[in-house]
Amino acid sequence: MSIEKRMLARELKLIAARPGDIFKPMWFLILVISMVPLALAPDSDLLAEIGSAMIWVATLLALLLNTEHLFQSDFSDGVLEQWLFLDRPLAWLVGLKLVAHWLFHVLPLILITPIAGLMLSVPTEVLIALLITLFVATPALTCFSGLGAALTLGSSRSGILGVLVMMPLFVPVVILAAGVLIRATDGSDTLPLLALLGAFSVVAATLVPIAVSAAIRLNIGGSN
Amino acid sequence: MIFEPIQIEISQLRCERDDRLLFKNLSIKLESGQILRVAGPNGAGKTTLLRTLAGLFDIQEGEIRLNQQPLKEYLERILYIGHKPQVTKDLTVLDNLKFLTDVDETALKSALSAVGLKGYHDSLVKELSQGQGRRCALARLWCVDAPIWILDEPYTALDVDMVKTLDARITEHVANGGVCLFTTHQPPQQLDYQTLELGHVD
Repeated sequence: MSIEKRMLARELKLIAARPGDIFKPMWFLILVISMVPLALAPDSDLLAEIGSAMIWVATLLALLLNTEHLFQSDFSDGVLEQWLFLDRPLAWLVGLKLVAHWLFHVLPLILITPIAGLMLSVPTEVLIALLITLFVATPALTCFSGLGAALTLGSSRSGILGVLVMMPLFVPVVILAAGVLIRATDGSDTLPLLALLGAFSVVAATLVPIAVSAAIRLNIGGSN
Repeated sequence: MIFEPIQIEISQLRCERDDRLLFKNLSIKLESGQILRVAGPNGAGKTTLLRTLAGLFDIQEGEIRLNQQPLKEYLERILYIGHKPQVTKDLTVLDNLKFLTDVDETALKSALSAVGLKGYHDSLVKELSQGQGRRCALARLWCVDAPIWILDEPYTALDVDMVKTLDARITEHVANGGVCLFTTHQPPQQLDYQTLELGHVD
């Protein structure tokens, strides 16, 4: 079997062994969203107005929650250092891991956002825009939080540090996504902003794996 | 399988970690058929030397050459088993090996029989004892065709029988033209090896 197939097979088996990894962020998203109408006045106009932004932020946080330990257990088990001996460039393997992570961990999160949208009575056309922005923006977000995870592998309290380091990279993505949602609410053209978001994801998916592999090498080189 | 002749040449290697000099002017030559035990007290730089040889640490000063070529060209011919578990606890014994090696299932199963894990194929590693987990990591020695073995503390947590089995496997490997470098604090009885003492830096 090729390394690529072995990698994907391993990811699937790990998910089967630790289903909580997928469901925890989903529960988090639904819980946060279900709290919003309770904390605000249950005024459906207000909810519809801010609902999509709330869902976007909650999804971002849920994504951070399940990406911050992306490489941690493989690193402490010593399996990650074995990746260096596989017959492929480390950046390629990292790219595969990120793709698998997006497919199996982030995609389910996106797919339940319509439920969250219904809970906040977000109008259908905004909901569709929300789904599209999430599809287009999450590859970039996954890459950036993966990079944060890789950079902080060696430090014990890595979670929050990784997020802090990557915060400046999340900001433009969130601003662009918010722009798309505002335009979708107005009914104006969302395509230019979506194209920018897409460009962000493409650039991230191409360059970030190289940075992640450098960060992993650095951490493996610095540990015993 | 018989390996092509190998020559590992370490010359004038010097290594510092966290501002402590671990070793300097380290020069050794190793050839097919040789076993090298790296010995020395805790903190002498045994793991550092093995990890440098495996390409996991950058060479700070000096040179490592394999058959006159720089080390980087040869990394895929190295089988490195570190002192970390090297296996994922949430996966089964067989799935762990399937990810790390590219051999068919029959070969994997015979490797697992060789390390005494027959009947444990579908057990999760977290359900095994520490010694059995170590056996699972070492099973790769029975199914991967890498000529250069770098083993960091391979004997840890192994029982007497498994130590014998491992010694026999290392002997067989070097008889086939392989090279084996390892660290251990208990000198192995059944092996014919050279020793490199670290930890005498002034």
